Amino acid sequence: MILLRIVVFAIMAFLLAPIVIIILFSFHATPALTFPFTGFSWRWYAQVFTDSQLGAALVESMKIAFWTALLTLVLGTGASLAWLRLKRRGRAVIEILGITPIALPGLFLGVALLVLFAQLGISLSTVTIVIAHVLLTLPILLVAMKARLTLFDPSLEEAARDLGASQRQTFARVTLPLIAPTLISCAILALAISFDEFVLTSFVAGTETTLPMYIWSMMRRTVTPLINAISTLALLFSILVLVVAAVVGRMRRAAAVADRTKS
Amino acid sequence: MLSAGKRMGVVLATPAVFYLLVFFVAPGLLLFVYSFWTSVAFRIVPDFVLSNYIGSLTSPLFLRVTLNAITIGLSTAAIVLVLAIPVAYYLVYVAKSKLILYAILITWFSSYLVRIYAWRTLLGTNGLINTVLINLGVIDEPVKAFLFSAFAVAITLVHIYLPFAILLIVSTFSEIKQDLIDAARDLGTSFLGGFFRVIAPNAVNGLLGAFMLTFILVAGDYVTPQMLGGASGQTTGLLIADQFRKTGNWPLGAAEAFLMFLVSLAVYFGMLWLCRMTGISVKRRPLEKRRAVR
Repeated sequence: MILLRIVVFAIMAFLLAPIVIIILFSFHATPALTFPFTGFSWRWYAQVFTDSQLGAALVESMKIAFWTALLTLVLGTGASLAWLRLKRRGRAVIEILGITPIALPGLFLGVALLVLFAQLGISLSTVTIVIAHVLLTLPILLVAMKARLTLFDPSLEEAARDLGASQRQTFARVTLPLIAPTLISCAILALAISFDEFVLTSFVAGTETTLPMYIWSMMRRTVTPLINAISTLALLFSILVLVVAAVVGRMRRAAAVADRTKS
Repeated sequence: MLSAGKRMGVVLATPAVFYLLVFFVAPGLLLFVYSFWTSVAFRIVPDFVLSNYIGSLTSPLFLRVTLNAITIGLSTAAIVLVLAIPVAYYLVYVAKSKLILYAILITWFSSYLVRIYAWRTLLGTNGLINTVLINLGVIDEPVKAFLFSAFAVAITLVHIYLPFAILLIVSTFSEIKQDLIDAARDLGTSFLGGFFRVIAPNAVNGLLGAFMLTFILVAGDYVTPQMLGGASGQTTGLLIADQFRKTGNWPLGAAEAFLMFLVSLAVYFGMLWLCRMTGISVKRRPLEKRRAVR
């Protein structure tokens, strides 16, 4: 038992150490990435905020992440509600179609989409990047929803209908509150996934530069502590997104429960 | 005649299904068609030839990098599985630590490129690991071999794919009740016996799934080997990516992508067969459907 605990903590240390070190050295006063730590400074962060190319890449990434999350939410909500109404075969279609894309390497999806866009004469742009990203985020939403929906009791909807609620009322007051927390936290996760996606993007981005692509071009040029600062900021963003996703999930569920006990 | 509910279901599913058909199924099929075309003087010509496939399969370079990708994939997936099991076990059966769970989620969501960059700086000649080892007097000169080696690639890939594998295995273990272990322990099974004779047989399909998913994702990951592997870092993925980005021979790249896909499938069925043959995996009925012995 004690051995297990030691092993687990060692593995967790392995997972966290590189991230902690990146954060630590983003505050280093000199460009050296070695100990001893010679001093604390904000200089790399100051540089980050004056880099206009970086700013443009960041805006581009945020734009893409927003549209990806929105499209994922719309398509995913439809598919989830459909899943509840369909029987075995219909569900199987949604599951197989929806889950296969994440079991394939991003490379495969990337080149396949590139070929499609070339064949249809669609020029690569922000739009093609969003299309590609949804291919990764929609399956994740569907997987998470499936786990949630198997617990969904369709008799709740029937009960509402029996008690005289219209179809729209049933949807708004019964179905939606039950599935909304998962949908919203998945949409927020989609935001984070899109923000970080690199391999797929590199095939379907024309002249657009997203944040990961900018980091990539920096990495290839030099080892600069600037990357530490950007990484730390990106990490902060991911943590923020995770926290928001968790809080929203809990809040909405709590609200839904409270609402039900009240009326 | 469909019921109203079902008809509504079909309508609601249409956008997502249509999306996936147009942007996932169609491109996949198109890529397959492309793999039989030819590229003449940088122009892609519809054709029906097998030369892309035959050419790849008889090219020593292709075979070498594919073997490299499979080796990297299998070894990384094995290490990932071995490391993920204790963590998942701990999270499910010992302490449901929220802190550890969040730490795993954070690493999972920390940027892919950043983690590659982190290991590159850690393993470099002026990197942290070399500096520490020199200061401790373990080595006199920085070890150059840390970076740009199979070791660097493996450690980074493990770091990237471990969190996801842990989460997959946590969900597998969650379906196996604590009571089963308790019962086995009460009957005198040791701690490890409890794992190998109670949990492992029930979780084997989930574990195999986690292994295979890690394998497929790692074998297709060409960025990490490219950045950290040096001369040993060329994999099929990089070859394919270069066909599409540099060389411009898309049909050949398409054929290579499908060969890689077939190799992944072959490895998957090979593993499945191996598990069946050795008796590690048996077809089981789900726990809840098994009737109690009377």
